[in-house]
Amino acid sequence: MTGIDAIGAALLWIGAGFFLAGTIGLLRFPDVYARLHALAKVDNLGLGFIALGLALRADSLASALKLLLVWLLALFASATISYLIARRALARGIEPVAEMGADGDQR
Amino acid sequence: MLALIGRAALFAGLWWALAEGAARDWGVGLVSVVLAVATSAWLWPPTTTRLSPSGLLRFLVFFLWQSVRGGVLVARLALHPRLRLRPEVRRFRLRLPPGAGRVLLADTLSLLPGTVSAGFGEDDLRLHVLDRDLVVEADLRAAEAVVAGLLGLELERPEVTGA
Repeated sequence: MTGIDAIGAALLWIGAGFFLAGTIGLLRFPDVYARLHALAKVDNLGLGFIALGLALRADSLASALKLLLVWLLALFASATISYLIARRALARGIEPVAEMGADGDQR
Repeated sequence: MLALIGRAALFAGLWWALAEGAARDWGVGLVSVVLAVATSAWLWPPTTTRLSPSGLLRFLVFFLWQSVRGGVLVARLALHPRLRLRPEVRRFRLRLPPGAGRVLLADTLSLLPGTVSAGFGEDDLRLHVLDRDLVVEADLRAAEAVVAGLLGLELERPEVTGA
């Protein structure tokens, strides 16, 4: 395994770790708004690391660039969709949870 | 004209990446590039906004660094044994003119530490903040300044904050 391959593999593991954390956040966070944070940030970062890791192991510069484009497109889609979901939720009067875990209870 | 040639070069580069460098697909590629330039000229005429190259660099550095910060921060909150969040919905007074700049700012803030954009008001942006102590006004203003620099937009002068 060459050095580049090893770095690529490490980036893939880091990406997978962020995806795991994002999924745990999705399950543990209390409401729709907080869950959007888990998706829009942690999973995007995980995808970024995976795209970068794969780009390092790609056969050609063009396919490496294509992987980065996949990430950019996913970023745009994710930002736009979170915006739409959050706006709709507010418009429907879904109250965000104001506090969680400060004294062990949820308001 | 120069702007259109620049766009054609950009779309040709995109095609090159999508086709993974395969030379035999350039017939379709050429048609796609021409259609893409025509569509972009129609949807976003070259005169309206110009990207500044140094602004782009600053935006990318800011964006990548803040993305990592945001991802790590939310991941830590998610993994903490005692889940502790203090969310709130905040109104952020916009100083960017209406248009592309505001949209880009809303998208950028959705990907940055602790904030998700949740709708525009007349002159403000509603933000859902994951933990009110972690998100400070200065970070949001920094994002606004970087977006303005990228698109070459003027920021409205800050309001005098009195009593």
